[in-house]
Amino acid sequence: MKCEHAAEFIPDYLEGTLKPQDAERLEAHLESCAQCGKEIALARELTVLPTEEPSAALRTRFEAVLAAYEAGRRAGVARAQDAREPRAWTWNWFRSPALGFAAAAVLLVGGFLGGRYETNTNGPQSHDEVAALQGEVQGMRQLMVLSMLQEESASERLQGVSLSTREEQMDPKILTALLHTVRYDSSVDVRMAAIDALSRYGNHAQVRDGLAEALETNQSPLVQVQLIDLLVQLHDRNIIDQLHKIEQDTDVNPAVRERAQQAIAQLS
Amino acid sequence: MTTSLPDEEVMLMVRDGSAEMLGVLFERYEKPLFNFYVGLTKDRPASEDLVQEVFVRILKYRRSYKPGTNFRPWIYQIARNARADQMKKNVPHAEQTEAAEPMQAPANSLESDQQHAILRRALDELPEEKREILLLSRFQGLRYEEIAQMLGCQVGAVKVRVHRALQELREVFVRLERGAAQKSTAAGANYEM
Ligand SMILES: [Zn+2]
Repeated sequence: MKCEHAAEFIPDYLEGTLKPQDAERLEAHLESCAQCGKEIALARELTVLPTEEPSAALRTRFEAVLAAYEAGRRAGVARAQDAREPRAWTWNWFRSPALGFAAAAVLLVGGFLGGRYETNTNGPQSHDEVAALQGEVQGMRQLMVLSMLQEESASERLQGVSLSTREEQMDPKILTALLHTVRYDSSVDVRMAAIDALSRYGNHAQVRDGLAEALETNQSPLVQVQLIDLLVQLHDRNIIDQLHKIEQDTDVNPAVRERAQQAIAQLS
Repeated sequence: MTTSLPDEEVMLMVRDGSAEMLGVLFERYEKPLFNFYVGLTKDRPASEDLVQEVFVRILKYRRSYKPGTNFRPWIYQIARNARADQMKKNVPHAEQTEAAEPMQAPANSLESDQQHAILRRALDELPEEKREILLLSRFQGLRYEEIAQMLGCQVGAVKVRVHRALQELREVFVRLERGAAQKSTAAGANYEM
């Protein structure tokens, strides 16, 4: 057997799935070939390399997120039960001068896109449809994102957020719209996805400021923790005062206060 | 929180609203994921952030988990994506850590410790793609089948990549071992004088 031949057998041999007769042939080769033997020995050594222990803080942070998540969900359920709550954010949206143009444009193409949508069920097809449209009309995707961010259903808005992440260069209008979503969207999932989408643009002052503002107003502990995580990652020292306020505010969820305290230490 | 339920069952419970069951998965995957990331990045704080990010993403995307999906490839795929996104963000981490520390074996350690230290260094010298496939298949113990599911390629392609990575690992290892032997002879000579 030559080494090239042995090479085909070695991975299965390591996993213990090589046929017995092939294993025998390989072992015969190993008796005379130090190179292949060394490869196998090293591969075996890899499985017993000493492991490292994460710090206890990792578990604490995980538990804080989980607790915040549960609290956020309970708050979400309570909000959903209060069906009379007006959707004020929709109006803020239209009042925002920066979005005036975008909103008008969306209204213009809304009927067209809506029509295309009805012929499709939700799901992967609508993504293809979106992709096709993008080829047809320049900038359509941005309009699509802006339009989807206003949909009634949270899953459509989520799709809008995920669509926005496919832009190589984030359009300022979309940045503004995503920041708006972070602050005012009724769904925690959508807000968190929007934060995620914005995390790639942390070098924009507008984004950092917008996220800090959202931290000021957001009531969902899960979102608050995610905002703090991101702002710490971005080394935004401007939020230290704000973190002190959160830490001392007894109305704030304990998990969030704890995260704020950690964040102050991380940023100082 | 302990249970003997398979990962897939636990994840379905998380998906269907029992977020607290995520604690079970954290218990099982915290350390493997942390070691996967330390192996890739050699940066402990960054690795902890990434592990945290994986579990936040599981919460966020829990509804996209479909019954019948093998959990291990699924979570490692999330882990890879989290790492890729972090690199895209390109935010330099606060301080460079004592990353290289565990790889340096103390001079008087046992021979096997020295071998391990050289092996670690050899692993670190591989390109990330090769290091990753060895970490997954050998250190994390993922089956080739699972890696193929995760990468969306054929099992055969995974095996080829594993073997190429092993080949390069051996070459680097032999070179480092030779260097270490020369150094210790030189040190020994100095000591004599
Ligand atoms: Zn050979």
